Amino acid sequence: MNFPTQDFAALAPVGILSGGALILLLSEVFLASTRRGYQASLTVLFSILAAVAAAGGGSPGVIFNGQATVDAFSTFVTVIVCAGLALSALVGAGWLRARQAERGEFYALALFGASGMALLGSATDLLFAFISIEVMSISTYALAAYIRRGKKPAEAAFKYFILGSFSSALLLYGTALVYGAAGSTLFAEIGRAQGPLLVVGLGLVAVGLSFKVAAVPFHVWTPDVYEGAPTPVTAFMAAGVKTAAFAVLTRLALVAFQATPASAANSFAWVLAALALVSMLFGNWLALTQRSVKRMLAYSSIAHAGYLLVGVVAAAAAGAREAALSSILFYLASYTATVVGAFAVVAVLERRGRSLDEEPADAWDLERFAGLGRKRPGLAFAMAVFMVSLAGVPPTAGFIGKLLVFQAAISAHAYGLAVVGMLTSALGAYYYLRVVVYMYMRPAEDREIGLISPAIQVALALAVVAVIVLGVGPETVSKLARAAAAIGM
Amino acid sequence: MTPLQVYFPLALVVIVSAILAFLLVGLTNLLGPRRPSAVKSGVFECGSDPVGDAHGGFGVKFYVVALLFIVFDIEAVFIYPWAVLLKELGWVGFADMALFAFTLVIGLIYVWKKGALDWE
Repeated sequence: MNFPTQDFAALAPVGILSGGALILLLSEVFLASTRRGYQASLTVLFSILAAVAAAGGGSPGVIFNGQATVDAFSTFVTVIVCAGLALSALVGAGWLRARQAERGEFYALALFGASGMALLGSATDLLFAFISIEVMSISTYALAAYIRRGKKPAEAAFKYFILGSFSSALLLYGTALVYGAAGSTLFAEIGRAQGPLLVVGLGLVAVGLSFKVAAVPFHVWTPDVYEGAPTPVTAFMAAGVKTAAFAVLTRLALVAFQATPASAANSFAWVLAALALVSMLFGNWLALTQRSVKRMLAYSSIAHAGYLLVGVVAAAAAGAREAALSSILFYLASYTATVVGAFAVVAVLERRGRSLDEEPADAWDLERFAGLGRKRPGLAFAMAVFMVSLAGVPPTAGFIGKLLVFQAAISAHAYGLAVVGMLTSALGAYYYLRVVVYMYMRPAEDREIGLISPAIQVALALAVVAVIVLGVGPETVSKLARAAAAIGM
Repeated sequence: MTPLQVYFPLALVVIVSAILAFLLVGLTNLLGPRRPSAVKSGVFECGSDPVGDAHGGFGVKFYVVALLFIVFDIEAVFIYPWAVLLKELGWVGFADMALFAFTLVIGLIYVWKKGALDWE
């Protein structure tokens, strides 16, 4: 048996991320010092290293006997995840320092979670995917419980853990049934099987993954968890977990149904289409009435899962595969930059209770944004850019992302989904732009200006630049995304 | 033979054992004489008088110990089959397991320094 050097070389980004996590764990206990500023910088360094290793190193190919595939698609996903991790770590640095809660474990858990996400991008086997999902999820469960002061965060963490474990169990049960039907858990083999057992199994797998991407009707945990979790963690969940879960869902939908008889593929596509439809409708509709900006962003992330699912549906249809795949990747990149930035602003403005145990009910109320345009013009500008991008208005990344996804849907003849997507985007503009209206057209309610942290400012600047560059000159990234769309089967 | 048919004997065992269990418990319930008394319906705790409520709180330290126990127990679960197949797996298997054990050792160092192993 030859030593599979290539297999390990292909996993270099994952190795860097988990090695970095171990280093941070050890430095936390051995360097007993009150200065912990280096931890966030180390995290950023490791995520940049991992992204570089993913982009530059390793020949693409099938590794671990077909259980995973390293290709341009997985590389793209890894880079997005690393970018999300770096930005969230910077936000975390400022947010945690203000609460005197900066610890190496926070960054170590985030790095471990990111390594699971990077693995998930290359998974081509249900069991491999399951283990990657668990690596990712267990880290985020712990992160969601990182600060449990007050009732809400504890409730959020517990809810996330219980419902997340439940969805993992469904995923595993589905995997077992699929194995019973197909005799294999490899994506490529699943497509060759048929029968009711396969349908039930794939249904359960789809439910499990829908939980992770927060698609309606499996979204109920999202608002509570996103609101209760520490804000940098929410940013990381919205960016990283969503990206990774969509990567595996897309790969499953494509690879598994390449070889299937049209009927099974069709029914799976119908399920995804239904999920996309209700996610777009309910996500946007429920976000309309939210006063808490953090909760509004949680519902908006459900709506964006809907738009991404439209892309997956288009990718599952034969006609527009490449366009749809590249649109999903572009959308994930633009959404990551935008959502981390938006949550960074929320983290800056978050109202803190007088004591550490108290979490005021209106911590993220819209009123907190009133008069921000005058109090902190830079911050208000950044938030305006993110809101406009989430709403899908040019010249921002969100616009190009939506454009590409709906174009792909139209060339896949999914006209209904494209129309609903455009209409709900218009609906969404109302609650995104309401934040902008509050910032620029309402007088300030008090003189509080929120947190001032260089780390968060760097993250915000990077996110704003990314959103505008992706919106004004999307060619480079969309070219990369198109190259990545030639998915390794 | 589909993959599921292989498991038919297993299903048979499950069914037979289920029927047997129902028969044993059910028949005893149906046929056995029932003459309860105060002593008989008391809580049985190895002959001694029961003390306190079973729903009392436990120290959270037990939880940490249990967690650590599971981690290293699982390690043993992985190592046993690996040891059986060590010759066939060769250096690849050795490298894999070394990596796994190394990660766990770092975890152990971490919890040790963190003080999770001290009882007080």
